[in-house]
Amino acid sequence: MINLYQFIPEIFILSLILITLCFGLFNKDRAISLNTFGFILLSILLLNYGKEFYSTTKLSLNTINLFVLSKIILSIGSIVFILLLKRPLKNENLYRYEYVLFILFAILGSFVLISSNNFLTAFIGLELQSLSLYLMAAFNTKNLSSNEAGIKYFSLGALSSGFLLFGISMIYYDTGSFNIQNLDNFTAISEIGLSLVLISLFFKVSAAPFHIWTPDVYEGSPTISTLFFATLPKFASLIFLFRVYQELNISEIKSLNYIFQMVCAFSLLVGVYGAISQKVIKRLLAFSSINHIGFMLLGIMSYQFMSEGTLFFYLIIYLITTFGIFAVLLNLRTVDGEFTKISQLNGLRFNSNSKSISMLVFFFSLAGIPPFAGFFAKFFILSASINDGFIFLSIIAVLSSVIAAFYYLTIIKNMFFNKLEIELLDDNNKTGKVIFITSGLIITLFFIYPDPLINLVDNLFK
Amino acid sequence: MSFPILSLLILTPIIGALTLSLSSSTQLKNKTIFLSGLWITTGEFLLSLLLPIFYDKSKNGYQFIEFHTWFDKFDINYYVGVDGVSIPLILLTTFLVPICLLCSISSIQNRAKEFVIYFLLLESFIIGVFVSIDLVIFYVFFEAVLIPMFLIIGIWGGENRLYATFKFFLYTLAGSVLMLLAIIYIISKVKSGNIELISDFTFDQQIELVLFLCFFASFAVKVPMFPFHTWLPDAHVQAPTSGSVILAGVLLKLGAYGFIRLSLPFFEYASIYFQPMIFALSCVAIVYTSIVALRQLDMKKMIAYSSVAHMGFVTIGIFTLTQDGINGAYFQMISHGIVSAALFLIVGVVYERHHTRMISDYSGVTNVMPKYSFFFMVFMLSSVGLPGTSGFVGEFLVIMSTISVSVYLTFFTAIGVILGASYMLLLYKNINFGDLKSDIKQLADLTNIEIFYFSCLAFLTMLLGVYPKLLFEMINKSISLSII
Repeated sequence: MINLYQFIPEIFILSLILITLCFGLFNKDRAISLNTFGFILLSILLLNYGKEFYSTTKLSLNTINLFVLSKIILSIGSIVFILLLKRPLKNENLYRYEYVLFILFAILGSFVLISSNNFLTAFIGLELQSLSLYLMAAFNTKNLSSNEAGIKYFSLGALSSGFLLFGISMIYYDTGSFNIQNLDNFTAISEIGLSLVLISLFFKVSAAPFHIWTPDVYEGSPTISTLFFATLPKFASLIFLFRVYQELNISEIKSLNYIFQMVCAFSLLVGVYGAISQKVIKRLLAFSSINHIGFMLLGIMSYQFMSEGTLFFYLIIYLITTFGIFAVLLNLRTVDGEFTKISQLNGLRFNSNSKSISMLVFFFSLAGIPPFAGFFAKFFILSASINDGFIFLSIIAVLSSVIAAFYYLTIIKNMFFNKLEIELLDDNNKTGKVIFITSGLIITLFFIYPDPLINLVDNLFK
Repeated sequence: MSFPILSLLILTPIIGALTLSLSSSTQLKNKTIFLSGLWITTGEFLLSLLLPIFYDKSKNGYQFIEFHTWFDKFDINYYVGVDGVSIPLILLTTFLVPICLLCSISSIQNRAKEFVIYFLLLESFIIGVFVSIDLVIFYVFFEAVLIPMFLIIGIWGGENRLYATFKFFLYTLAGSVLMLLAIIYIISKVKSGNIELISDFTFDQQIELVLFLCFFASFAVKVPMFPFHTWLPDAHVQAPTSGSVILAGVLLKLGAYGFIRLSLPFFEYASIYFQPMIFALSCVAIVYTSIVALRQLDMKKMIAYSSVAHMGFVTIGIFTLTQDGINGAYFQMISHGIVSAALFLIVGVVYERHHTRMISDYSGVTNVMPKYSFFFMVFMLSSVGLPGTSGFVGEFLVIMSTISVSVYLTFFTAIGVILGASYMLLLYKNINFGDLKSDIKQLADLTNIEIFYFSCLAFLTMLLGVYPKLLFEMINKSISLSII
């Protein structure tokens, strides 16, 4: 007898999808507000009853907490995203209700991925997620670069799925099981299989040297899709990576551990060196996200010291900052259409107070400079990693963040020191404005008074 | 736990900045904005005067302590307090910031509101550094200072301001992140960020050396010491006058303060171990930068290099690890804070009138600006270290304390004094004496506002020069504790 109780969140999303499919044909706006409402309901449901959904399973309490917390974050992120997407899509003449469906499918895939205990289920979740992402990348069908981005993303993504499947089959050949949790009797074959699985996951979170797709896809896709790639699916894949690391005790397996450390160091360095000379803001953000993935991998490796709290603190702050930055970018439009070059930010200070100051907060926070929450996010990751003995990686991490400060400062320089050059259209997108101002406030307030966030994370992991 | 004066000191400028930023900018005139900024900072100065009045000099340890838990889980606390070492520096800060605003009223025309806001934030962050006795918030404030300073140089600076402000920011950040790693390591060992607890903890000797170097990287850039000083002339030359004043007056002291407050008590073994290295670097700084200063064509650059030389005295004094040496170094810090700030203001006065900083463009200024030349002379002589001015006491004590270490050290330090006199006198001669150039003729003498703040600064230099006990009374006890 299969207990359906634990699938309530997934079933909830599935029913949302079905309703949207029927409903959206007639009224797009209603479909959007319906989904917003649906996700609000889902977050409340998860916050209050999240743990009980999984009470019948044999999972450990920690894992259940991990599921619940990441699903709450995903659904809150989806609320923000769905609220944000209407105006940018309308501006590009892309406002079709399918877009919301893709998001729902991707989120469903992420949910499945996060809570899967079986490599095959994980594969299904990952594919469901990725296929929606490919479509979102190519959503602007009339634009050549958007098509290119979609195809690049798809072909490379398919390759990585091949790696994943091959890795899973090797593990199955060796151990006779798809189960993530009780995988013992390791031999070299499983290790190779696992490394293939890891490569595929590294690809999904765009860790270097598996990051080649990131800048192109970020640049080509519509900005609103870029925001989605940069946040929620990446978050879900990272959580799954974290689970694989934790459940399979990768820290005990020497070869895989070595791969992990190499990838972490590569991401830290490739991210910053790639970003330095970028002229297009989305490419810069792509490389900067690679650098941040390096920090997150460091957090995954040293989770033993301060539990999952450090990693989640970093992830939440990073998600909020990214949402804020993209909300500002989506609110900026030039006469020629979407906003692309860094030089177009010149003199933003004279154009809009709220946008430029929020951007200042976000970029200083990304650079890890107090008094913004990004500082503590990095601080905790570094304390955990130093305590776990990753001194060399920590040194690379801090040095990379000095180099990173350079290109964040360049952006701030363009906004604050240069003169206004091009005409920016004021979009007057109220939801966008509310979102970036709140994110800016949250980033500042979490620095001064971090207790709510820490308590939330803490209570769930107790 | 009584009146939370330290938190009030940190919060007043921030609240002022917030109120200013929320007021609509179109209605306010520049003058109103500066006046409100002045009111806030003057109030802050008066508030900070309460510190020396109520500070109990007979007691050991920190006073006015406030403790709040910040991160319960990670044992990071908001823990502030002051002792004799921090109070004079806080006073110096609160004293200089109103002067910075005063001197910018006429020179900063565009974006005045932002200017005042950044200065207020800068003030509160600097005070935060001086009052924190927990490593994490020390670091937080230490880093946060960079942001307003970056914007001040970048927005209101000279032609080459971008290069200067990036160099300033990245140099300092690169030094600080190493300190961050060291701080994290220390906290993980000691299980607390409390400065007093860490002072009692003894590290493994090899590790202590590494940790010392990490802290050294950060403070040496900030002071700045010899090989790390190249950001300073650029930053000074490009910064607006008020930026240079606060940079020379207070920001450079953060590094030296860090040495006294953290490096010495934490790493006793390493302080002795690295003594020769620091002496060597400081000697090079004193002699080399003095010679470089001699050949400068730009007034601001010359004074910037003289700052590096003067801060060389400070580092030598600190690392003699004697009471006299550190007292002298500390006195030199305060004196340099006042005098170099005044000298940058002096440069600012003629720059604002004549729009050039080249020494060769001036000559015979004393004919048209007699009051200006008078104040210039007072500060020039104080910078040279004439007895009776504050510059003398510090240099004298430092040189005296070096004799106990090595005579060669005394020799090099004393050379620095001679070189210092030569470039300052040269600067004074070239600008004030000689034939009156035709385009100098229409320069107006000091205005009442300028006379007001110059006399305040001159009075302070004289007072400290004649009655140094005022400062020594305050610092003696706290410094004797940090030597051990």
